Amino acid sequence: MSPESSSGPENSALSELLDLRMPADSEAIAAVVDTISETLARLEVPEQKRFEVALAVQEALANAVVHGCGNDPSKQVRCRLQSDPRGRIVIIVTDPGPGFSPDLLPDPNRRENVYADHGRGVYLIRQLMDEVHFEHSGNEIRMWKY
Amino acid sequence: MVSAEDILDINVRKRSQVQVVQLRGPLRMGPAVDGLRQIMEEALGSGETRIVLNLAEVSMIDSSGIGLLVRFLASTKQRGGNIKLVQPNKFAVQTLRLVGVLNLFEIFDDDDVAVESFA
Repeated sequence: MSPESSSGPENSALSELLDLRMPADSEAIAAVVDTISETLARLEVPEQKRFEVALAVQEALANAVVHGCGNDPSKQVRCRLQSDPRGRIVIIVTDPGPGFSPDLLPDPNRRENVYADHGRGVYLIRQLMDEVHFEHSGNEIRMWKY
Repeated sequence: MVSAEDILDINVRKRSQVQVVQLRGPLRMGPAVDGLRQIMEEALGSGETRIVLNLAEVSMIDSSGIGLLVRFLASTKQRGGNIKLVQPNKFAVQTLRLVGVLNLFEIFDDDDVAVESFA
């Protein structure tokens, strides 16, 4: 199955830890990221893993606000944190936008893109997380950390 | 809505013709990146192209912050200057490395050595 069309590890009974909604406003991102970080800290997730998840969530929410919602604060972004019985976590970020094709994004490591001021968010998410899946034409991202 | 956790303290001072910018807090999309962008634009606008960024107390740099740093690095270099980093923590170093820009920057252990490197 293509990693872009599968929602992640199969046959997992997922527990919902958080189900948050925020206005599509860049100033609302930090509070959601920090809430997820604090929840992971209470679950005794190690600092390195918490940092990687927090930065991935930051990037996913920023993409949802800017590209999914066009910075329109009347629109809502949903962010869920779930875990499976093996302690693996998944963060699901959903926006109401038309989605996008992640395979068409430019490679930020190409020489002509090194000094670009944008275009690194999805690349960074893929580097930080263990599995990344885009659903519903790209307006939902599922990010797994083992 | 700005959460307390989203505030980036920015302190600017000048030493030996070098702008030393001390940051404290996460450098991420929103007020933090907007605030640093304004400081950097003002510096370039007044001809300041030698900049030291102290990152010792920066807990996170997101792709928006990275974009800001590399954009102004290019701008200062085009004018014969540079942006040099001081004490980025292990997470900042990891992030800059992951996106392939760590080697664009000179990194120093303290402000004094970074300032002197412009001489």
